[in-house]
Amino acid sequence: MSEIESPIGKSPPRLEAGEKASGAALFTADLAMPGMLHAALLTSPYPHARILSYDVTAALAYSGVKAVVTAEDISGGLFGPVVKDETALARGKVRYIGEPVAAVAAGDEKTARYAARLIEVEYEELPAATTVSEAIAEDAPILHDDFAEYFKVYQAPEDAGNIMARAEATVGRGLDGFEEADVVVEGTYEVPAQYHAYMEPVAALATFGPDGRVTIWSSTQSIFRTQANIHEGLGIPMGKIRCVAPRVGGGFGGKAEASGQLVVTMLAKKAGAPVRLVLGRDEDMTTMRARHPGTLRVRTGAKADGTLVAREMEVWLDGGAYADDSPAVMNLALFYARGPYHIPNVRTLGHAVYTNKLRLGAFRGFGNPQASFASESQIDEIAEKLGIDPIEIRIKNAIQAGEPWLGGQVIATSALTQALKAVRDASDWTRAREAAPGCKRALGVSAMAHSSAFLASGAIVRLQGDGTVILNVAAVDIGQGSDTVLSQMCAAVLGLDFEQVAFATPDTDSAPYDYATAASRVTHTVGRAVHIAAAGVRDQLLAHAAEMLECALEETELRPGGRIGVSTDPPRNAEVTFGDIAQRSIWAAGGPITGSGSFMPHDPTDPEHTQMSGFLGLEAISVLTFGAQVVDAEVDEVTGAVRVHEAWCAHDVGRAVNPGAVASQIQGGFVQGMGYALMEEMLWEDGRLVNPSFMDYKFPGTLEAPDKINTIILETPEPSHPFGVKGVGEPPLVGAAPAINNAVSAATGLRLKQIPLTSERVLRGLLGKE
Amino acid sequence: MSGEVDITLMVNGEEQVLSVPASRTLLAALRDDLELTGTKNACSQGVCGACTVLVDGMQVNACLLLAVNTDGCKITTIEGLGEGGKLSVVQQAFVDSGAIQCGFCMSGMIVSATALLAENPNPSRDEIRQALSGNLCRCSGYVRVVNAVLLASERRGA
Amino acid sequence: MHFHKPISLDEAIALLAGDAGAMPLAGGATLVAMMNAELIEPNALVSLGAIDELKAVKSAAGGDVRIGAMVSHTELATSEQLVGGHAVVRRAASLIAHPTVRNIGTIGGAVAHGDPSSDLLPALVAADAVIEAAGSAGRRDIAAEDFFEDYLTTTLAEGEVVAAVRLPKSPVGATGVYEKFTRVHGDYATLSVAVMLAMKGGNCSFVRIALGAAGPKPIRVKAAEALLIGSELDGEAIAAASQLLAEASDPVDDVRGSADYRLILVPRLLSRALANARSQVEGAA
Repeated sequence: MSEIESPIGKSPPRLEAGEKASGAALFTADLAMPGMLHAALLTSPYPHARILSYDVTAALAYSGVKAVVTAEDISGGLFGPVVKDETALARGKVRYIGEPVAAVAAGDEKTARYAARLIEVEYEELPAATTVSEAIAEDAPILHDDFAEYFKVYQAPEDAGNIMARAEATVGRGLDGFEEADVVVEGTYEVPAQYHAYMEPVAALATFGPDGRVTIWSSTQSIFRTQANIHEGLGIPMGKIRCVAPRVGGGFGGKAEASGQLVVTMLAKKAGAPVRLVLGRDEDMTTMRARHPGTLRVRTGAKADGTLVAREMEVWLDGGAYADDSPAVMNLALFYARGPYHIPNVRTLGHAVYTNKLRLGAFRGFGNPQASFASESQIDEIAEKLGIDPIEIRIKNAIQAGEPWLGGQVIATSALTQALKAVRDASDWTRAREAAPGCKRALGVSAMAHSSAFLASGAIVRLQGDGTVILNVAAVDIGQGSDTVLSQMCAAVLGLDFEQVAFATPDTDSAPYDYATAASRVTHTVGRAVHIAAAGVRDQLLAHAAEMLECALEETELRPGGRIGVSTDPPRNAEVTFGDIAQRSIWAAGGPITGSGSFMPHDPTDPEHTQMSGFLGLEAISVLTFGAQVVDAEVDEVTGAVRVHEAWCAHDVGRAVNPGAVASQIQGGFVQGMGYALMEEMLWEDGRLVNPSFMDYKFPGTLEAPDKINTIILETPEPSHPFGVKGVGEPPLVGAAPAINNAVSAATGLRLKQIPLTSERVLRGLLGKE
Repeated sequence: MSGEVDITLMVNGEEQVLSVPASRTLLAALRDDLELTGTKNACSQGVCGACTVLVDGMQVNACLLLAVNTDGCKITTIEGLGEGGKLSVVQQAFVDSGAIQCGFCMSGMIVSATALLAENPNPSRDEIRQALSGNLCRCSGYVRVVNAVLLASERRGA
Repeated sequence: MHFHKPISLDEAIALLAGDAGAMPLAGGATLVAMMNAELIEPNALVSLGAIDELKAVKSAAGGDVRIGAMVSHTELATSEQLVGGHAVVRRAASLIAHPTVRNIGTIGGAVAHGDPSSDLLPALVAADAVIEAAGSAGRRDIAAEDFFEDYLTTTLAEGEVVAAVRLPKSPVGATGVYEKFTRVHGDYATLSVAVMLAMKGGNCSFVRIALGAAGPKPIRVKAAEALLIGSELDGEAIAAASQLLAEASDPVDDVRGSADYRLILVPRLLSRALANARSQVEGAA
């Protein structure tokens, strides 16, 4: 058997890197069609108000305007991923400042924007609840009067006012477990709303064909979620909705659900012309989504020797005006509440609450950054109290393969101890660093776990007439490199060069279903479907080859570059190419060669291990992976400014299909987490976002990000995956905030429990001023 | 004179005669009138750098310039960096360094890097970070972006 | 919107005088951003970009430096003419936003806009600059300290433009430093301190201080400077001077920091700025 040089473990330039470098890559806002109109939104000026009437006469009469839509034009029902509570445009009420109320299509953008302001909407202002505490107050205004009637995919609390979801989980003796503790630490942690700040603002383009079908190109993380949103929200049969993803300029969770696609569809239908909407940055920031701000009360109990015995976490997440993914995000915060540790007694309780601000939704980490900031900060607090080294206490309690996770699912592999040791060694953990004058400097550590398998994926691999293959999946590459990585896996199964795999644009007309580019799932979950599909093609190729070479199937041998030979003894020179087989299949025997694969994780929870209520099913979440990070941070005691000098990030990816892409995910994720730790915070006053621009909302640039982000890729193969792959999209972000917070504490003795660690918060802390 | 103004721009070596409203930015003129969509709009405030182009060789934010005010100028966009259908050394270095992820910031990033290397062919990592400080990227964490500029610098020197 | 691009200052002034809705357009770094955000919609713009006399930095024999209004931040930041105490202007310019914006923005635009968070404003006050304004009534000089009246408000009259900024001779042996504190590089200042300093025999022989982002205009307190002159720039003297500066400050609460935080930073950044300036003059001596 000759060696096939596998594309796995290599880092070829990304498939689309050249077009992106040349400026030729097409994102949604770069697409234009003959006769295309431009859309503009009219959004709500009130955090909570009843819509009494619309008058669109002036807007419609304005020169150049082709269509105006309001909720009165909505033909469908409610939509949403876990609670169906949204409409394409606000109907009956507005629930946040910035909520789209009406939209205009006109010949140019300026006209559309001007005309949108001519739409008169009569409102009756209602009392608003713009924070969780206001929303759960006794006489709080109720955002969704019909909440009880909404369709939901989980058991929602009844008569709970604005509390849309409540879940709890108990492991072991729960709170009674604290009886076993020698020391207990408790704290309440506050986390901010973080804006995704994908560089490409949301955009969508819709056009109806003569057959009555609508095609929507949009900046999305999921063509099938987009299709489902449009189907439910506008009542259009799925067969008449085609969703396509051109190049997407980042998502990070913010583009997982619909965002403007329904509005352009309504406008295109009414105007009878293609319509494109491109949000301005201010509009994107006020109308889209962000990471859930929240409050987390955490208690940890340990034995004097550092053995952790009990953990309690109570989570309150601000879900905003519509549920979006909030109940699921809250669930996942609880899922990670114990941390990656063997803690026998756990009790977690979570709430997600409607408030009058924009939807809080999926964002890289999905509840884990919030939980891990609190949890990992507290591990350091308990280590300090016990006089144990922070890495030592983590190693001592590190969860191991074969142990159950919260929920009772058993962990197949754990590289946590290895990761902690790796960052300890690489960072030279015990060596003190010299601080600049007026500054204090120290290292901080964090550990984290995250899942890789999530929800359903399909793949189709088709052999083309020349023996190359084309890969159809719905997974959207939003910058992480999945087009390349999935092509590498497909090529590996077939022994092809990576260039012999064509990657098809994600299109609901041609690709099988995939949930979304989210949850660190694509390489693992879609990869499994790709493997099945490619193996199906391979098996058909071998069967053809056996007939053509007149040998037994077992004697056929896949050779690199699309050839099949015979492994008989003595060797025979006979060989057929994939091209030969392809020709035979379509002209002589068998018919076209196509392979398809479907995959859905199923990892049942164990009610004996964990008593749970109020959760969405966790069965479709699986394959935990582990990592650890160390940061070197310096605090300027004159100003309170925190600077991160260097980071060491060790993450287990099972198998690095593309080590370059893995390192990019780690570095980019770490810096996004550093922004969360130090500076990123959306701020509202009376429901109005006060920093809706890149001028006022800051995230790290070249001079903030550390120049040295050392990536340590660990490879502990995942047994359930044909290539051993786990995900890495989210964990690098999850660890950053607690590691930085722990470094600041180690440097200064100041233990802050609220991020971002703005210079003002740090200086106030150092001065003992609140 | 009201309404449209006639201007002549030398864009990527080609003379372009345009009639634009006086309030139109250079960015809008490039994207909408000349269909050079490689230059991106991500903030409209000159903060993010996605719209960086060269005007008479200098890196600027195309969103902060009025097209009429660049009448007669030589404009270079991302589309004009390569020659004969090939990527420029800087563009190729970004590809080879794995610096490109979603790509939305990359046109501006590469234009800024090109301007830097024209002025300083052997920049240090810190000089690169300074020169690119007005180009925000949300994917990369910047390490590989800096690597790419260094690689381009080495290749140009070679 | 109308657009004009005259080639002489007189022509520009005539165009502005003839149209009350016209605005002068310098580099545009702020003006165009405001148009993009639909905050302003001028009737007409008069670009100053083709007027050659506005583009030069000239050193006069007496040590004065005259900076044309259309000199860009990049040119200021790299100017070899801004030395000694005038370095305060050069250093402030080098910290404005980012390279791309510095290539667009101009000193005249920044001065005319009158944003107290702008880096050049406190630097010009610390340099005791004179603003040369030109209008249909002729030219006049206004001390920078008097020029800035309030938030985004200057003494420029309707139709008047900034023609140049003049920096008087810097004291012998003086240096200029600009200490800027921001959330991230290139942001507007949370607080900034511009200092021009000279030392003699270990004592402060000359000092001028202006704070940026500390109130509706650059904050300068002569009494605070008087406390420092003759002192060894010891902690006590700096604390006393800071006290007066903080009392004169009236910062806002915003996303860059609370008013209280900015006031906490006054003595801290001033100490840093003075120490930095001192090490420069003593290092040079």
